[in-house]
Amino acid sequence: MSRVPALVAMHADLAAALIRAAARVYGPVDDVEVLSNEGLSRDALERAIAERVSGWREGGLVFTDFWGGSCNLCAASVARGRGEVVVLSGLNLPTFLDYLHNRDQLRVDELADRLLQKGRESIRLQRAAS
Amino acid sequence: MSWLLVRVDDRLIHGQVVVAWGARLRPARIWVADDGVAASEWERDLLQSAAPDAEVRVATLAETAAAWEGEAAAAGGAFLLVRDLPTALALHDAGARFRLLNLGGLHYAPGKDKVNEYVYLDARDRDSARALLARGVVLEVQDVPAARPVSLASLDPACAAT
Repeated sequence: MSRVPALVAMHADLAAALIRAAARVYGPVDDVEVLSNEGLSRDALERAIAERVSGWREGGLVFTDFWGGSCNLCAASVARGRGEVVVLSGLNLPTFLDYLHNRDQLRVDELADRLLQKGRESIRLQRAAS
Repeated sequence: MSWLLVRVDDRLIHGQVVVAWGARLRPARIWVADDGVAASEWERDLLQSAAPDAEVRVATLAETAAAWEGEAAAAGGAFLLVRDLPTALALHDAGARFRLLNLGGLHYAPGKDKVNEYVYLDARDRDSARALLARGVVLEVQDVPAARPVSLASLDPACAAT
């Protein structure tokens, strides 16, 4: 099974920072593209995403920071008609680490479903005991 | 209520609009006036899904201008988004008589000069800006509500009305 490639497209420097943080926990992160929307119009951002996913022969994952943001909207536009490209919004560090640990074992659609669940489970509350 | 914000933003609906302006002004509706987007069912659906706390209406310029007065009198506030200054001018001339226009995002493209970090203009943009100023529209540059609004003419004297 081939590795599921990924693009992390987020506001400002968040994507690069997320990769750096992941590297501290996981080790060197390769085969992941990083993109900031800084200074890009909607059309330019869409083109930048399309360029990065165009080489994905068996699909891949585009991770964005939040639903409704420009990265997510543009990624959704690019993914349209490319059924094998899946967009996952709201990426956080534990979810990204789970991607790194499973990207060589699962197909794109299986991995996307797993990460959606992992992301939801990763946000927890811890209240002080009374 | 009335129109709460009329904004030029080449990203149309996105994070600054939904999160920053949306949280501050809490619009009941967000209008996207854009002939191209209105012609695409898929684009309409995409934008309508992007702002879960407001009703998104994607309309042509003619439809938006026709609805302008009715929306101004409707319950709940509304945002209006257009992608560039020529579109804003066309909408104003079609009957959407806004008095204040927020310039929130006109990003770099070939042939455009930098005004600030998020506003780049070319000659056609400046023609439209001057025409809007001549019609009495105040042009303010402000990306998010927490930023200080600055008049476009003060940042880019070439836009000042003649």
